Amino acid sequence: MSQTDGPTIGRRGVLAGGAALSMYASTAEAARIRYVTANNNPYDILDPHQVFDIGRIAIRLNMYDALVRWVDNPAKLDLWLADKVEISADGMTYVFTLRPNVKFHDGSALTAADVVYSMERILGLKKGAYGLFSDVVKPGSTKALDALHVQFTLTKPFAVFMAVLSELWVVNSKVVQSHVKDGDWGAEWLTRNEAGSGGYRLRRFDPAIGFQCERFEAHFMPWGPGAIDEADFRVSMETATRVLGMIKGEFNTTDGYMPAEQVERMKASGNVWFKEAESIRTFYFIINHSKAPLNDINMRRALCCMFDYDGFNNNILGGTVVRNPGIIPNPMWGAPKDLKGYSYDIDKAKWYLSKVTEKLRPIQIGAMAGYPQSEQAAQMLQAGAAKAGLEIKVVAEPYTTIAPKLDDPDRAHDLIPLWRSAYFADPHNWTGYLFNSRNFKGGNASFYKNPRIDELTDQALVITDQEKRRVLYEEASRILVDEAVGLFVNNTKFYGPYSKSVKSVRFCPIGDTQDIRWIQMNS
Amino acid sequence: MRLLALALRRCLWMPPTLLGLTLIVFSVSHIIPADPARVLAGENAPYEQVEALRRKFGLDKPLPEQFVHYVSDVVHGNMGISLYTQRPVADDLVERLPATVELALFAIVLAVLLGLPLGVVSALRRNSLLDHVVRVITIAGLAMAAFWLAMLLQLLFSMHLNLTPVQGRINGWGPDPITGFYTLDALIRGDGETFFTALRYLTLPMLTLAIPAMATIVRFTRAGVLNVMRSQFVFYQAAMGLPRRVVIWKYILRAALIGTLTQIGLVFGNLLAGAVVVETVFSWPGLGTYAYNSILQSDYNAIMGFTLFTGSVFIGMNLLVDIAQAVLDPRGR
Repeated sequence: MSQTDGPTIGRRGVLAGGAALSMYASTAEAARIRYVTANNNPYDILDPHQVFDIGRIAIRLNMYDALVRWVDNPAKLDLWLADKVEISADGMTYVFTLRPNVKFHDGSALTAADVVYSMERILGLKKGAYGLFSDVVKPGSTKALDALHVQFTLTKPFAVFMAVLSELWVVNSKVVQSHVKDGDWGAEWLTRNEAGSGGYRLRRFDPAIGFQCERFEAHFMPWGPGAIDEADFRVSMETATRVLGMIKGEFNTTDGYMPAEQVERMKASGNVWFKEAESIRTFYFIINHSKAPLNDINMRRALCCMFDYDGFNNNILGGTVVRNPGIIPNPMWGAPKDLKGYSYDIDKAKWYLSKVTEKLRPIQIGAMAGYPQSEQAAQMLQAGAAKAGLEIKVVAEPYTTIAPKLDDPDRAHDLIPLWRSAYFADPHNWTGYLFNSRNFKGGNASFYKNPRIDELTDQALVITDQEKRRVLYEEASRILVDEAVGLFVNNTKFYGPYSKSVKSVRFCPIGDTQDIRWIQMNS
Repeated sequence: MRLLALALRRCLWMPPTLLGLTLIVFSVSHIIPADPARVLAGENAPYEQVEALRRKFGLDKPLPEQFVHYVSDVVHGNMGISLYTQRPVADDLVERLPATVELALFAIVLAVLLGLPLGVVSALRRNSLLDHVVRVITIAGLAMAAFWLAMLLQLLFSMHLNLTPVQGRINGWGPDPITGFYTLDALIRGDGETFFTALRYLTLPMLTLAIPAMATIVRFTRAGVLNVMRSQFVFYQAAMGLPRRVVIWKYILRAALIGTLTQIGLVFGNLLAGAVVVETVFSWPGLGTYAYNSILQSDYNAIMGFTLFTGSVFIGMNLLVDIAQAVLDPRGR
């Protein structure tokens, strides 16, 4: 599938279009291009270092820059604020050369000191992306060698360091420091203001409504024709309202993971077109290995054979997803291409059940209330289990109730159907975080421990050669499926709805299409 | 003097009532096994990060200590910091109050303007076709769930008739606030275009709130009028040869509307406090959406602040209603 519908606006294209900029500028005032998006998450805080979620990613992508940035699908990491990077042979030291002449929104120059301050701020606040860095970057270890060179010295090799640097959003250190109160790292001020260098700068913010930003003409990345002049990011929590708003033309876009019936409804209106792409957001059941009989491999394999994958993916979800036999999404490197997952087979499930040595008991699924797919998947497994003679109870709870239980094996449900979103495009985001036993109480909610998986995922974190890492993750993937560590169901497809005035978008599974600098609209 | 005593007595009851309310809401919201620190930290956060957040927000302390601390802060005018907006909850509430009050005022005015005459006419023409129609409409208005009614109105007025927007409070961003009420601010500035735009955006949420409110007012007015019409003093006035018009307007309505007035006060309190669903469906940036988001994110301080606010509104409305009743009906003093 092509990255864009309509003309592509890659970096080369943008640069080549530089000659057209002056002509564009003369017409820009006549017809400002305005873009309105409806978000199903509140924009209640603007600080890029206090939150680290997908729901508010538009704030970070559009008003801030990082050293690197994810683009395209499959996602690739481009140097962004950085011009060059040198990595020491032991993988412990990274020296970045910054682009010259990068400006913050107040016109001051972005320097290595700002990068250092941003890293220290993340480590000091202990919020947002802190968990990505805390293990390998110690406070005070990041140095500005001069105005354009910054050096990170890690405590140990960390192969995904470049990948997670996409979350090191650089703030204007002078501006933020001038608003520090009681050693709060300027947190109170940056909650409602911005101090970035991104493609768009803040015009208005109201946590009840959302935020409005306008194009930052002096951004280092040139703008092409059709680029958005100003954008409204509005909060609209109700799905039906967002759908009606799209059909009526009140919004130019909204979330790209709508239920199938809502996608059909928008398609039928004729006012909305869709950008379709396979994403990297897998849906699976967490299995709690700490509780018998789920610690028995035959029990887990039986469960995997009780789920009607085709019925769920193709009938209930109308083919808006793709079967994903393992935890790593199909398009991601590290996912074995020949991986064969489980299939719906009640006789086989019964056979596995007969081999379970632990005493059978009713199994409880904690479905996520308010997420129909989670509840439907739970019911589908319940129906399959009933055919195999196993009783399953389904309890629907909001995520806020489920989340704390993920840290506690005794309180955690037996199974939880949920998604694993992509925070960075590396197999570690799935295999390492979710199944390395080091991550109990912080990622590994299965409470699964396998020394071989630990070894493979630890090893994959210290070597930088992607081909060698691929081999390790592929082996890990096979083990996870063989041992039925989770019940892996599908990979999500992105169905981004757009109004007819939007000519083209550029999809990247990290942030979907919320990086609006790549969007082209009719004036 | 008696009125003053009544008001003072009611005011003295306010603090213990609010304390009781706080205790109940605090207990309920903290008994639910949610963990705002974990949700705030995000799914990738290590346990150490979650613990740091718990300590920062005092969530690691025993519940009684948290409660005492909270009450002490509230007494000193501090409702705490919202975990998500990172701002004082009181500031958040004040910022969102105008949107909700404006919506509730429009809705109650519409409900009263339609509900009172319909209730009176329905009672005066009891068992007529009009009465039956009004009764069916009021029962439907009361029975229909707010979110369902909201969606029906969106489909009819926004999608089919194209008369109103689907959602929002205004196109783009509102005018710089003077009072925070868009309609009033537009009038103060003499900006007719903004005034009518704001009215268009108000229409659907206002109707969604006004229809069940109107139904309540119709039913209480009708019942009140019918009840008074059976009174001996009404027969007496009629027997005295007073014109029917005078009997209705001067004697029946004055006596019948005392009960309706109580209901109007309570309904208005409900509109201020209970518009959570309607505000969410219409993306109305008021207290209701604030409460909705706070509940979704287990933002304890915000939930408590909203509940305290709505509790205070109800107590205040009850006080006003009691005073108004005492003024209109000397038997109540």
